[in-house]
Amino acid sequence: MEKCYLTIGLEVHCQLLTKAKMFCRCGTDYIGKEPNSLVCPVCMGLPGSLPVMNRKAMELAIRTAMTLHCEILPRVIFHRKNYFYPDLPKGYQISQFDFPIGINGTLEFMGQGEKKKVRIKRVHVEEDAGKLVHEGLNIPSECSGVDFNRCGIPLVEIVTEPDLHSPEDARDYLTMLRSIVRYIGVSDGNMEEGSLRCDANISLSLTEKTMGVKVEVKNMNSFRSVYHALEFELSRQQKCLAEGKKLFPETRHWDETRGVTVSSRGKEEAQDYRYFPDPDLLPHTIEQVILNDIQSNLPELPLEKKERFMFDYELTETEANVLVQDCSLANFFESCIKELNKPKFIANWVITEVLKNLNDLRQDIQHSKITPAALMDLLKMVDRKEISGTIAKSVLEDMFQSGAKAKDVIAKKGISFMSNEKELEKIVHQIIEQNPQSIADYLSGKEKALHFLIGQVMKVTRGQASPEIVKNILNKELSAERSLCGPREPF
Amino acid sequence: MSEKISLDEIKKMAQLSKLSFSQEELEQFFVDINSVVSHFDKLNQLDLSDVSPTSHISWSQPPSNPDEPREWPGRQEVFAHAPQVIDSYFIVPKVVDKQEE
Repeated sequence: MEKCYLTIGLEVHCQLLTKAKMFCRCGTDYIGKEPNSLVCPVCMGLPGSLPVMNRKAMELAIRTAMTLHCEILPRVIFHRKNYFYPDLPKGYQISQFDFPIGINGTLEFMGQGEKKKVRIKRVHVEEDAGKLVHEGLNIPSECSGVDFNRCGIPLVEIVTEPDLHSPEDARDYLTMLRSIVRYIGVSDGNMEEGSLRCDANISLSLTEKTMGVKVEVKNMNSFRSVYHALEFELSRQQKCLAEGKKLFPETRHWDETRGVTVSSRGKEEAQDYRYFPDPDLLPHTIEQVILNDIQSNLPELPLEKKERFMFDYELTETEANVLVQDCSLANFFESCIKELNKPKFIANWVITEVLKNLNDLRQDIQHSKITPAALMDLLKMVDRKEISGTIAKSVLEDMFQSGAKAKDVIAKKGISFMSNEKELEKIVHQIIEQNPQSIADYLSGKEKALHFLIGQVMKVTRGQASPEIVKNILNKELSAERSLCGPREPF
Repeated sequence: MSEKISLDEIKKMAQLSKLSFSQEELEQFFVDINSVVSHFDKLNQLDLSDVSPTSHISWSQPPSNPDEPREWPGRQEVFAHAPQVIDSYFIVPKVVDKQEE
């Protein structure tokens, strides 16, 4: 097959983390709520109601646009996007058209180990639609149920230029975008719950200079499905071109269960949304002081943080990448370092054990029972060699489940600190006396015998001694023996 | 002279507005709408090159809401006016897009 040139652009919608809706005071915490319990005349489109803008939603949208290095258009004009569907009670969605919040931005992300840059075409703010339910216990089959709880929740739409060139790129861009919206606190970016949604435009061309035919793919509900849908679309279009068939512009829906995209409507039938300025909302200008204030409060972003972690804490790129993906994890790590300045040692524990426990409990660090101080109480004991790494791991698991302090878990588990060297020395002597053969083996150069001896001490202490301390004592005792026996023969 | 609206464009507008008309009605609209459009020729005689488009007569700081949710007490009343409510859902005739089938 000849070489193909793949071009992808993504449109992402993120629900903004406001407590109230975009143009009314209804709450936004709709997941699991009774249908139509977070509604009012404004978000149900009842006659005579008027929208009033939520200041916080605008601020979050501006913050998003600024973070994506957009040029901010301080003139705010809302437009009506007209379409007819029962999830939209007014018959139009309040959105932005020729004056979005921001234009011409960029976003940098790591794609397959390489730093890549995507141009952001526009960032605008709009309101979400309601939800339709087609099957329910009591809803007749010839009917649909409408729930307006989600209707009017503020969204930002982030549109890229067609700068992505593989399904992997698309996935990595999305991962970075989600990480960023979480970092700056504008959205929880949860794709499975629908607070982050993604549509893709994909085209395949046989020549580098010309663009192929634009196909829009919708209905992808996870990062995995974005990747798989684009992979499917790539091979479908490749096959079409190889067979000399003509591609045509269309909208296709990703069918998760069958793993295919299905054509829904030709683009030539595309709807005319009849955009016009919403006369209910006054056009206005965002004051420069507000813009300055938002700009000066932008936090450090994932890539910057990663580079700082690599430089300041001498972490590898892989280690830093894992730590910075979630801002709360990065903060957790940095709080730990304040308690004990051993970044490598702590990073290692956070990346392996902390993440493993969070994963097992399906928690994120913010909602876990472990605080940096609690983890560090434990890790300081490991650092002082009072307990072994193996014991610490099992103590940590318990701490994650119960939220108890390290000391309490250790007491509960009956683990005593075998850090008393005098006591350990006694046991070591005893082991040396009981294993003359191993001593002889060791002295004749068999290093393995030392591990056997450490094992024996651990057995007697039921694993409660620190292997490091045991090893030190053994080394001390055995070098004394060695000096009695004379220098070891080379072998 | 501005370009006139064709009968096909009028049919398209009707379709987008989810309205259906008889042939006679469409022909009447053809006459009416074209006379409205012709009226804009008068406006086009003015030189407006230095005037920016007006999307609203007011350009001032609009009222805005703080981000504090408030419950609206009237929802039962809305339910009472709805043609059908089941399990707190408003019931409408089945709407499944071709794409969702």
